[in-house]
Amino acid sequence: MPASHPQSLMVELPPDVAFLPAAAAAAENAAQVFGLDRSGALKLALAVEEFFSYLCRYAGREEPLRLTLSHGGTFVRMAFRFRAGEVSLRALNFAASVDVEGGGDSAHEEHDAELGLLVASRTTDRCSLESSGAGVYVLLAEVDRQYPEAEPLRSEQVLSGPVRVANPDGAPASEGQLRHAALLAAGRYPARSCPASFHRPARFADMVAYGQYHALLASDAAGRPAGLICWRGSGPRSVVFSGPYVFDANPDHTLAKETARLLTERFLAAVARTEPVCAFSERPTADVPEGWFESLGTLTLRGLTAEGDEGGEPETQAALFRHLREDVGGAVWAHPDMVPFLERQYDRLAFSRDILTTEERPIQRAPEHSLLATSFDRRRGLAILRPLLDGQDFAANLAAHVAALEEQAPEGQPGGAMPDILLHLDLSEPWQAALYPAISACGFQPRLILPHAGSSDLLVCQHVPANR
Amino acid sequence: MSLPIAELVPPHIRAFEAYVPSKPDPELMRAYKVDHLHRLNNNENALGPPPAAARILAGFETPRASIYPSGDCYTLRQALGERFGKDPERFLVGNGSCEVIASVIKAFCDKGDNIVTADKTFAVYEWVAEFSGFQARLIPLKDYGYDDMGMLRAMDGRTKILFVCNPNNPTGTWWDRDRMERFLRVVDGRAIVVLDEAYREYVDDERFPDGMELMERHPNVVVFRTFSKMYALAGLRVGYVCGQKEVVDYIRRTHIVYSVNILGQPAAAAALMDDAEHIPATRAMVARAKELLLPAFDELGLEHVSGAGNFVMVRTPVSDSLIYRQLMRRGVMVRTMTGFRFPNWIRVSLVQEPVMRDFLTAFRDVIALSRSDGQP
Ligand SMILES: Cc1ncc(COP(=O)(O)O)c(C=O)c1O
Repeated sequence: MPASHPQSLMVELPPDVAFLPAAAAAAENAAQVFGLDRSGALKLALAVEEFFSYLCRYAGREEPLRLTLSHGGTFVRMAFRFRAGEVSLRALNFAASVDVEGGGDSAHEEHDAELGLLVASRTTDRCSLESSGAGVYVLLAEVDRQYPEAEPLRSEQVLSGPVRVANPDGAPASEGQLRHAALLAAGRYPARSCPASFHRPARFADMVAYGQYHALLASDAAGRPAGLICWRGSGPRSVVFSGPYVFDANPDHTLAKETARLLTERFLAAVARTEPVCAFSERPTADVPEGWFESLGTLTLRGLTAEGDEGGEPETQAALFRHLREDVGGAVWAHPDMVPFLERQYDRLAFSRDILTTEERPIQRAPEHSLLATSFDRRRGLAILRPLLDGQDFAANLAAHVAALEEQAPEGQPGGAMPDILLHLDLSEPWQAALYPAISACGFQPRLILPHAGSSDLLVCQHVPANR
Repeated sequence: MSLPIAELVPPHIRAFEAYVPSKPDPELMRAYKVDHLHRLNNNENALGPPPAAARILAGFETPRASIYPSGDCYTLRQALGERFGKDPERFLVGNGSCEVIASVIKAFCDKGDNIVTADKTFAVYEWVAEFSGFQARLIPLKDYGYDDMGMLRAMDGRTKILFVCNPNNPTGTWWDRDRMERFLRVVDGRAIVVLDEAYREYVDDERFPDGMELMERHPNVVVFRTFSKMYALAGLRVGYVCGQKEVVDYIRRTHIVYSVNILGQPAAAAALMDDAEHIPATRAMVARAKELLLPAFDELGLEHVSGAGNFVMVRTPVSDSLIYRQLMRRGVMVRTMTGFRFPNWIRVSLVQEPVMRDFLTAFRDVIALSRSDGQP
């Protein structure tokens, strides 16, 4: 439950390795106050040490490094804010491998520093870089609290009406109800339709308690859990929802449909007067009521069809969307090669967008190394790549990521199906749009647009393996 | 990392959604590639203001633009006092009635207090309360109308204001005299009751409770009215609150002076004095528009809701925002209702027949499209 402790700790550190113990001690202390176990705290402290010593060497020296440690609910986050200086963050790439053959002394030093960064990024659960104004970056890493995995519940219950959803102003769902509902959903729906946390229900309940997720529960006349829908913010402009999940053995049961409709309506009522302008889902269930969302297109995913199943038949999955208010239009950046696809999609969706074109990128002016963020859900066999920094090695770096991901077999299935690989391009960034030819050459194809999902719309590209 | 500015902002403001007004018409027309745009989204009165008000606007001498207006709308309040037979001191005029909503909340709510209203109604009561840090208790509508019993049950010792939108935007429902009297008796002076009568001039029914009369017997009643709707002066932003003198005196302490401009004040006063033909003409236009639209919605098999007011709501088979975009491409702007917590409904303002016909042509088109393949 949310503690009464302060939820963050901020330290300003001069960029001097002499302060390494101070950084590490702050991390360890905060990690423990914020609920990590011993090994989690050590991981966080290690990451802080490695990042700090790297930034001492390469970040701009004109201001102190600001370290913020914060309680994220189910995880603890460290964030270093720094000026770019001469940093190369290529070691943060998922596919990074540090060349052991060093040149002279300085190359050797650089190698050690990058190795440290690599170790730090691998020991944390997530690691990313955000730009925060000209030349200012924030390097983030998170270590998750540990939660036990639980067996999904398979239930043959048939609901009895009337079904109710608690009023938004009513008492929030209890931890026990949330855990129960998560396990029922995990038992009824394929893994691809569920957030990973449904399999660690205490984590799911904590995510709701800490506001990382919002959830609405339905219950039937007998007081049993009847359904669940949950959502979280995705950037400032959109919410992403999962569900609705309905716990009735017969999905054609009128009451099951009614439950799904009620949950969807309440979800929309809850977000309608908040900041986001749209809601979407990349993993809708078959219970989403008809006519409530627009299809943005479909993705054909090979991944797992149910927990433990090896990648069976490829499945198509619709991405659903709706605005929460009138669309006021907007502008997106595109490489000329993307324009036909974007025009077709925007026209089909009746979206008003000004498509601004950007030509080839001036590769000589780009820094040497690019950086890609990778999120990889082993259970679903799905990887999502996002370009964070442009660099001269972008094409090679992307190819290395694809190769590295294709070597990753699903959890417990060595040699099993290869993961699906998606790439998200933020169309508010001309430099990202300009990467398109390289992305296309690497075997990615444009699939759909997620409106407002980034700073503006996101273009989702999917990797199509050469042998298919 | 958040900017330091964000750290200065209290959490209830950071969490709050800034109202994003729609873009200017020329921008929208460019974006949707149309050469005309019928505005059916804001319940404006397409007939335009009454002739006397129109004359004031036409005769405005530009040098007067350099002069400050009356800071408290002196002359306009005299006109209101005369019209309603009340002391002019009992009126407080604002830059639209939206401004007086904020003044009333500021005057009566303190940390920990709450307001009670409906979930599916005009959003500003809820918004102002929440961004001022007060809880808004939102009672679900019952049969599309305000639920009096639900509101009374939600009241507690910290409830300072009950907002009743009568008639309700967007459903057009209203409480009749008996229901209102009963409600006020149970509230029994424990909280301020705001009757937002923005659309009251559209009601032609003697069972409609007149807030101006109720406040004489129930001193906790406060009435909001506006020149934006029936009087067709939305662009000049003039609305007002009326109540017992003591109540209004408290509201005045939080109210901004000089917020109503020099053109709006005399135009509003003139409109008030010249509404004898304007009101029936507007009502006739609205009635005619309903005669056109409602049977057409029935024919299309679409559920619709309307009552008092110059608007109707219709339920769409697909997302309201998709219908909005498709209608925009055909030069028609409606209001999506998801923000009113009516997902998959749109609200259409009722205006002159030719425009209503244009709307219907576009709407039939879009609905047919949505039925042909599940989405336009
Ligand atoms: C119920 C209701 N009250 C108040 C207003 C605000 O009117 P004004 O233009 O006076 O601010 C509106 C406008 O849409 C409304 O519908």
